[in-house]
Amino acid sequence: MSILKDLFHYDGNGWWRIPKTEEAKANPKLEHPFGKFLGMSKDFLIFITSGKGHASPAYYWAIAIILGLITIVEVWWFDVEGLRYLLVPAMLFFSLVKFILVVAFFMHLRFDNKLYSNIFVTCMIIGVFIFSLFLVLSAFHGLGN
Amino acid sequence: MSNQGVTVHHGEEINNSTGVSNKKLLMWAFLGSDVMFFGTFIGTFMAYRNKSLNGPYPEDTLDIPITSVSTFVLLMSSLGVVLAVHYLKESKMGLAKFWLILVIIMGMIFMGFQVYEFTHFAHIGMTPQANLFGSTFFTLTSLHGAHVSLGILWLIFLLYNEYKGNLTSENAIDLELAGLYWHFVDIVWIIIFALLYLITAGDGVPPGGLPWTAGH
Amino acid sequence: MSSILGPKQFQIPRIFPRPMSHSGIWYWLGTVDHKKIGTMYGIVSFFWFIMGGIEALLIRVQLSQAENDIISPELYNQLFTMHGTTMVFLVVMPLSAAFFNWLIPLQIGARDVAFPRLNALSLWVFIFGSILMNISWFTGEAPNGGWFGYPPNSTIQFNPGNGMTFWVLGLNVLGVASIAAGLNFIVTIINMRAPGMTMMRMPVFTWMTFITSILIVLALPILGVAGIQMTGDRVYGTNFFNSEAGGDPIFWQHIFWLFGHPEVYILILPAMGIVSEILPTFARKPLFGYTFIVFSGAIIGFMGWFVWSHHMFTVGLGPAANTAFTLSTMLIAIPTGVKIFNWLATLWGGSIKFTTAMLFSIGFIAMFTIGGLSGVTHAVSPSDAQQQDTYYVVAHFHYVLFGGAIFAIFGGLYFWWPKFTGYMLNERLGILNFIIMMIGFNLQFAPMHWLGLDGMPRRIYTYAENMGWELSNLAATVGGFLIAFSVLIFIINVFISRRNKKLASGDPWDARTLEWSISSPPPHYNFVNIPQVEHIDDWWYKKYPELLEGSPKQTKSAKATVEDTSNVDESKIHLPDLSYYPLFVGIGLSIAALGVIYSYALVTIGLILVFWGCIGWSTEPVNEPHEKHH
Repeated sequence: MSILKDLFHYDGNGWWRIPKTEEAKANPKLEHPFGKFLGMSKDFLIFITSGKGHASPAYYWAIAIILGLITIVEVWWFDVEGLRYLLVPAMLFFSLVKFILVVAFFMHLRFDNKLYSNIFVTCMIIGVFIFSLFLVLSAFHGLGN
Repeated sequence: MSNQGVTVHHGEEINNSTGVSNKKLLMWAFLGSDVMFFGTFIGTFMAYRNKSLNGPYPEDTLDIPITSVSTFVLLMSSLGVVLAVHYLKESKMGLAKFWLILVIIMGMIFMGFQVYEFTHFAHIGMTPQANLFGSTFFTLTSLHGAHVSLGILWLIFLLYNEYKGNLTSENAIDLELAGLYWHFVDIVWIIIFALLYLITAGDGVPPGGLPWTAGH
Repeated sequence: MSSILGPKQFQIPRIFPRPMSHSGIWYWLGTVDHKKIGTMYGIVSFFWFIMGGIEALLIRVQLSQAENDIISPELYNQLFTMHGTTMVFLVVMPLSAAFFNWLIPLQIGARDVAFPRLNALSLWVFIFGSILMNISWFTGEAPNGGWFGYPPNSTIQFNPGNGMTFWVLGLNVLGVASIAAGLNFIVTIINMRAPGMTMMRMPVFTWMTFITSILIVLALPILGVAGIQMTGDRVYGTNFFNSEAGGDPIFWQHIFWLFGHPEVYILILPAMGIVSEILPTFARKPLFGYTFIVFSGAIIGFMGWFVWSHHMFTVGLGPAANTAFTLSTMLIAIPTGVKIFNWLATLWGGSIKFTTAMLFSIGFIAMFTIGGLSGVTHAVSPSDAQQQDTYYVVAHFHYVLFGGAIFAIFGGLYFWWPKFTGYMLNERLGILNFIIMMIGFNLQFAPMHWLGLDGMPRRIYTYAENMGWELSNLAATVGGFLIAFSVLIFIINVFISRRNKKLASGDPWDARTLEWSISSPPPHYNFVNIPQVEHIDDWWYKKYPELLEGSPKQTKSAKATVEDTSNVDESKIHLPDLSYYPLFVGIGLSIAALGVIYSYALVTIGLILVFWGCIGWSTEPVNEPHEKHH
């Protein structure tokens, strides 16, 4: 259970809350065998998303470089014949990561008032949900033929 | 204590119940609405994927290397906007103007690529009327292009005001809103690039479709 | 739109001077006052209500006898298409918008909406969009493909001419108006509430407006896309719904109902809000289960997205999809039922006053329940297969849209008329209006249930003599004319009451919410002092504080009085100045849409107008500098 909690970043306040500052990190430290690795990766996540240097251009440059690298990986993946069978999930995954990076950091949702996130996320959930449902219907129920 | 003298400052940051900016809230709600707009187009495209009855098909038309370049340009323009907002807030006007100009130029480069791509497609016979792929592809990308063009006009307007001295760190929110819009247009392109280009580009003749050779 | 508020005010040169007077035509054209905008919404949509009603009467006249030939089949198609479109997009939605405009700032204790000029833009785009759609009557080719415009019946191959193009462009322009209004009200309700007015202290009407606005903002873009695709097919030769090129007409049905089902909640939720305001006022007790009503509204708003395919049970989606949508549709009846029981419990044990507004609200509950129950019968997909495209469906949606939305809107008109105008409507004529409308309504639509179960299809311009449908159809026609007569009584009532002017106090009904704490009609700045809110129904408990201490009924006379505006220094309250730019953007949009049909020159002119309007708008200061105080 505690591994699960760590994996999903349960910090006593809620799931999936990557603390926004260094000070708000989980306490006490993680104790199980995976603890060290999980702790390090969590520290890394906190470091890159904590707004350390949030206000500095270097931070934006770092995000932009990550975005650029992901784009290069995307195009490379497309070119490699052997990876074609994983093209769809990989592209969905990469574009999701890019989407989150831009929305969270360039558009400041991670550091802004939660109200904005709530509005945008509500729209995203409804949109993604109904259009997926629509695609499922059209795929299995004879849309087109 | 009477508050008879309290004035209503519409569209400004004071006298509201949540402490967030009216304008920014409007922008986010609008972006949420735009999610549904592009969502429907993307849904259409995916539902009609591999349903065209005649060519040209995606593998005959889409050119990934060229689109990768324009994607990269648009992605980097997002960085430009965020830096322009940052420097404007810090009142570093020179840098703010520099990045804003760069963003406008990058937006124009992106549009240039799109114009080139569209004329190229029309040249080899892929038009909105040609088949389902053409219809769905052109409506989605051209409406995205319309969003980018609108964004460019908006940014030019703001740049003009920056030179006039009307846009300063005090009302950096005006540039921030344009920035939010620009980033949104960028993430829409991120998804378009993945779905319309990378995933679709290998699609050949679908079952029931007529084969196609260039020059028809 | 950004407005540049920098140190140096920058403005593009004006072509016309900024309207500054507070009376006359220029004031109405340039107004940004939410009350004036609400009034204009109300008047224009009431005009369309009469037009849509005339279309309905022509339909009824044609169907009154078997083998009737008063109206040609072609004209009949145009009439039922435009009747549906008018009533949904030009009547119920904008009439609700009239109430939003008038009441939301008053109910949350604000001096205006968050973006007054955007509000004016919604109004003008709506007005010119509605004109655009109805211009088609003068070209002789009114839309004739049904209010849902199913292809292939609406594609250019089978429906040449400009009719459906007008329809689809008109809907797109109207969509812009609705989205702008929806965004505006979302921001207004989140951000402009008076101090102490938490979300769970808002009146139910405000809550329903909030949920409706979210639905509008999310659903109308889908219709916009459907419209763009249909325009592409009809004007530019794209292939979205062209089956020769592999396109699929079913696809339109999906997209249209993805928009269309949230749309029906856009139509009914404001009506539910109105009723939730009227019932507690005249039952003289608090609304039963406020939290339940609010959350049912929110759940309806959410679940409304996942039921759209119940409009398509007979197209062959397969048993799995039909079962899933049967279930989700039956589930959505639960929150609706919760509301109905809450309203009944509100009435239970109250000391009810049967005013006209109250009668209309009780009528709403009864008629809406009937309509809701017949709705559940076609939520069941096997039984829907029998009812699809018959008059049973017509009966169902008129019970929820006329017996529901229009009854509530009439109730709301009688309830808030004193607040809107400063004088009371005649109650005796009002009750007559209600009785005749109730009788006429049931006479018209109840027979359609058995007509439909007997197999009479929708959208046919006539029927054979020996079908046994004559009597029911004749009854329906008589009912239709009774409804028209009751609306006439309403209009007469308005004129008589206007002449006799029985002046209303600020709080004529001894009501509960903030809008009644100010004079009738409200001063243009609404509240002299922005109220401090401490409870749900704050005004009620300010009047009768003993109720908070456990007293079962109000024992003393009202403690609080309506705000006195006699010695207010108006120069200290300032409101945004007038602006004519929204008007021009509205005109420009409609001209551009018209140009899609006729010529690119018109598109260019329209877009130039829009562009000029936007630039002028965003450089225009909210208040002219020389008017600035302090």
